[in-house]
Amino acid sequence: MKSSSPLARIMSVPGMPMTFVLIITVVVFQMLNPVFLDASTLGNYITNGIPIILITLGVAIVIMGGGIDLSVGTVAGLSAGMTMFAFVNGAPLAVGIAVGCGTGLVFGLVNGFLVAYLRINDFIVTLATLNIAAGLLVVLTQVQPLQGVDVPGFPELTKSDVFGIPTSLLIAGAVFLIAQIILAKTVLGRRLYAVGISSQAANVAGVSVPHVRLMSFAASGLLAGLAGVLLASRLGAVQAFLGIGYEFIAIAGAVIGGITLAGGSGNAWAALVGGFFLVTLQQGLRLNNVDPVYFSIVTALAIVFGVVFERQVRRVILRTALQRTSALSDQRATTAAASARSAAAKSSEGNDDEK
Amino acid sequence: MMKSRTLDIATVSRNAWERLVVDPTLGVISLLVIFSLIAAFAFPVFYAGNNIYNLVGSSITVMILAIGMTIVLISGGIDLSVGAVMALCAGTAASVVKLGAPLWVAFLCALLVGVIAGLMNGFLVTRVGLPDFIGTLAMLGLASGVLYIATQGVPIIGYMTSEYYVIGGLEPLVGPVTLPMVVALVLALSAGWLLSRTRLGTHFFAVGSNAVAARQSGVSVRWVKTQAYVISGVCAAIAGVILAGRNNNVPADLGTGYEIQAISAAIIGGASLMGGRGRVLGAVLGSLTLALAINIINLAGVPSSFQKIVIGAILLLAVIANYLSELARNAALRRRAKRDSQASSLERTKKEI
Amino acid sequence: MRANDSVSTPAVLEARGITKHFEGVTALDDVELSVGAGEIHALLGGNGAGKSTLISIISGVTKPDRGTIHLNGSPLASSGPFAAMAAGISTIYQELSLVPALSALDNIFLGREITKKTLGLPLTSDRRGMEQKVRDLAADFGITASELGTPVSEFGALKKRAIEIVKALAFNPQVLILDEPTSGLEDAERQVLFGYMRSLRERGVSLVWVTHHLEELFGLADTATVFKDGRRVDTVPVESTSAAELVNLMFGMDSEEFGGGDASRVAHLSTSAGSRVVLRARNLTRGTVVRDVSLDVREGEIVGLAGLAGAGRTEVVRTLMGLDALTSGTVELDGRRLSLRSSTAAYRAGLAMVPEDRKQLGILADLSTAKNVSISRLSTVATAGFWISAKKERALAEKFRTRLGIKTPDVDARIGNLSGGNQQKVIVARCLNTAPKLLIFDEPTQGIDVSAKVDVHTLVRDYAANGGSAILIASEVEELLELSHRVLVLKNGRVVGEVDGIPAAIEAGEFARIKSEVLNLSAAGGAS
Repeated sequence: MKSSSPLARIMSVPGMPMTFVLIITVVVFQMLNPVFLDASTLGNYITNGIPIILITLGVAIVIMGGGIDLSVGTVAGLSAGMTMFAFVNGAPLAVGIAVGCGTGLVFGLVNGFLVAYLRINDFIVTLATLNIAAGLLVVLTQVQPLQGVDVPGFPELTKSDVFGIPTSLLIAGAVFLIAQIILAKTVLGRRLYAVGISSQAANVAGVSVPHVRLMSFAASGLLAGLAGVLLASRLGAVQAFLGIGYEFIAIAGAVIGGITLAGGSGNAWAALVGGFFLVTLQQGLRLNNVDPVYFSIVTALAIVFGVVFERQVRRVILRTALQRTSALSDQRATTAAASARSAAAKSSEGNDDEK
Repeated sequence: MMKSRTLDIATVSRNAWERLVVDPTLGVISLLVIFSLIAAFAFPVFYAGNNIYNLVGSSITVMILAIGMTIVLISGGIDLSVGAVMALCAGTAASVVKLGAPLWVAFLCALLVGVIAGLMNGFLVTRVGLPDFIGTLAMLGLASGVLYIATQGVPIIGYMTSEYYVIGGLEPLVGPVTLPMVVALVLALSAGWLLSRTRLGTHFFAVGSNAVAARQSGVSVRWVKTQAYVISGVCAAIAGVILAGRNNNVPADLGTGYEIQAISAAIIGGASLMGGRGRVLGAVLGSLTLALAINIINLAGVPSSFQKIVIGAILLLAVIANYLSELARNAALRRRAKRDSQASSLERTKKEI
Repeated sequence: MRANDSVSTPAVLEARGITKHFEGVTALDDVELSVGAGEIHALLGGNGAGKSTLISIISGVTKPDRGTIHLNGSPLASSGPFAAMAAGISTIYQELSLVPALSALDNIFLGREITKKTLGLPLTSDRRGMEQKVRDLAADFGITASELGTPVSEFGALKKRAIEIVKALAFNPQVLILDEPTSGLEDAERQVLFGYMRSLRERGVSLVWVTHHLEELFGLADTATVFKDGRRVDTVPVESTSAAELVNLMFGMDSEEFGGGDASRVAHLSTSAGSRVVLRARNLTRGTVVRDVSLDVREGEIVGLAGLAGAGRTEVVRTLMGLDALTSGTVELDGRRLSLRSSTAAYRAGLAMVPEDRKQLGILADLSTAKNVSISRLSTVATAGFWISAKKERALAEKFRTRLGIKTPDVDARIGNLSGGNQQKVIVARCLNTAPKLLIFDEPTQGIDVSAKVDVHTLVRDYAANGGSAILIASEVEELLELSHRVLVLKNGRVVGEVDGIPAAIEAGEFARIKSEVLNLSAAGGAS
């Protein structure tokens, strides 16, 4: 029965094909420029990439539930701004971080409410909140310059390390672990996949689709907020245009990682490797003196190839699965033929029973 | 008697109020009127000097993009690449002028870039099979990337000939009328003509409203959608050529944020993301409404940095208003259905008697 | 056969030896059909009988594996719907194939617009020319000149049908296929449509008419061909037949199943229902699809809902589950009023449903069997209400696998790869896992093989024997009777009749009598 090869099975897990591509990419860049995996550069490039990767995870969660969130980039920018704003006005460390994460969460909840309960197109809703968040950040930077604060412990979020591992990497690692556990092990995660696979069928099975949708957008907003906090910590100053265009990289990362845009499949790992791949690409191009402006083109091409590649992989898996079932049904043909007739006829006459 | 009665039920007899609720253009007109009234009462400067004239001038770029966007939305797609493509076309036109080529060559080059971008969008969406917003998002990345590489991040300058001042609308054409106004008017009229009078226009609606039925009737859904994207690309090219003149220079991020303005204008103007709905007049009025809203907050002394928030808020308001009008419409339909079923049961009783 | 005697005119359309397999399964088996000029030829049969497959072959959408379609004696090359249309076969599908955003006129000419030249190019639609061409024809079908310019989205179902007829006629078809043309029409509107069909016949157009509503045939159709299980059962002249005869042809007893034709061997429920009322629904109304339906289900009782397609059976249970909103009406479960706000609330209150259309509404195809079992009540496999224990989940699935006989090598395998019958058992397991006070089975044996069908029947019986209450919808009347204590017959969204004491009646050997009672009620009962 288990005729599919182990390799095919591994590769059918979302994120696995990209893991190999990521490894190959790292090896290639290392061969091109041995500085690539140098301890100093490495730490830097990982810390720089972490906010983007967190945003990617947020978008990935929404996509798994069958939606899309375009607002993540500018919400992260605004959250960074809000954190700095709190610090500039004398807030202690914990409050500043809470303000940043809270900003993201509020945006997520608003998006989720409009999408899930008022059933307004998620694309338009998040496009609008994208703009509102971007605008609010511009206003915020004009109210007060968002820099020059000295909150003990804040820069250390991204600039220190624990046993040689960057602190922010540890934070991100924990977040990814928690996200993966929620997705794979909890009631909420299960319902998210169910809604992503078929919101109709999930609804018939008693899953509260609006609630799940709301939670997915809230998670995405919260992750954007956290990304903003880390951005603020790393940059030390927040400019008016922070976060613009990040959604592009994040969606690309999720798609490249192997998260199907149709929803219902994917995992945190896929978002991680997808996002990391783009970050690696950016770093690699920079180290090899390729103008960073090429990055946006590379990302665009990566989106296209990511979707096409993913679809091809799926098609191959589907075909092998079909061959297997048809082989199976050949064995049982004698017993099942008469009965299955009505099944096939039914699928061809799906319209017979009017709705 | 019975026959005619049921036929009346089958066709829709709408009253004026229901029509008003349903008609998308009326919504945007009322929005426009309300905004103007607010402006007029609150800020006497609104009607003073060149304010309205400048306001119209500032809305032209978005208006042209919104016309193309409306056509894409009608055919059931969405074009996120318009801003980036517009900037790329602006860069193309400016660079070619700088090389010393005649203006018309520069414009043809820009137009060519727009058409190619549209074809690529169409290819990615209809042949590769990417979702509309992913395909055009990729095109956005591509177009803005190419412009960045070409300019190396340094704005293109030094192409402003005296003719180009006219093209950008910085110098009027005749009287107070500028060339961009004329172009926008011609474009709006031709797009209106295209949508209402031509085969292709009918096919745009058909593909966006019910692609299966369109295919059954022999309409090539892929090709029609591709044409919509090409038209959007052409609009982006025209807008780019004009914006290059209006802006005096072409920075690499010239087009950032224009896609949301174009989408907002089209949606305020009654276009639907579900396809099959939208009007050129709506797009024109929608872009005027956006410009007006920005103008009002400027007059109110709110810093221009609020612009983005206002655009986002208006877009949200527009979709929420759509949602509410949909509710009202459904309620009206239910009421009518109830009335009809009562009427028909009345008929039945009569018949039985 | 008999058809050849009754049809005096030569055949315009002939289907010869049509056979079609889908994924190795026979949907049509050597089917013949012969339609004369100006004849209204009805195609009858239950769900999955093969009618839709046949018309999709005739209209060129589907290619047959064997057999040919002849038009006026010459074979048609099967090269797609356009070729069929050009040859003179037009089809009006049940799903409206009009474009809502376009006017009636634009719809009629969509894809073949008349154009006039602008700047030397044939770009502009010549609406006036199109209108002139079609105006008289449209008027014959009740479409006024001003309505031609109105968007189709503003029309009711009857006008839309009329527009589709005009659209089809613009091709000058010899044969027009109508797939359930009366669906969504009010009674008076149906009469108007029948008038149109007569006038089509007078124009010499042959009509192939697929319908579920037998009473519509009389006085209108000339001939009826009955299908069952992909085979043509018989072709009869409508004049000399009765609804009961047709019903018998459509749903006649299959000798292998249902006690081998021996009435005494027909299975039935053994237990009698309790007296406590579990579900009390009153005056359920949803627009025009469910009208004033009241029903009670007692403890341990299975109430069957009978009726032809479109009678409103599924619609009734969907409102109970909170999937569709009610216009008015109340539902009490165990004496507590239900909110009917959402399916989540319905499950929480103690309802569960095995939906029709397993593939679309039932299974979550990409999830494993175990995950499909637990989804409706995850608390049964979760610790502290949120932490899913894979071990508990697997144990739960294993429990149901043994109990319901689900055949799968591994409960962690994707449910999409299971056979239809096993998928259905998983859905039943999902419902049982919620320990429902009332379980709804909507076509539980639709599209599953015979052995699985027997298994599902056993499941339902065991469920009732253990005191469970249920509502059952089944299109096969035999199945419904075998598995119900009591049957309510629906028609046009209303309850038009009730047959009680079914197990006792079957035991008394009166299976045939109650069956014909139910069928007659479904087909003709209760003038609405």
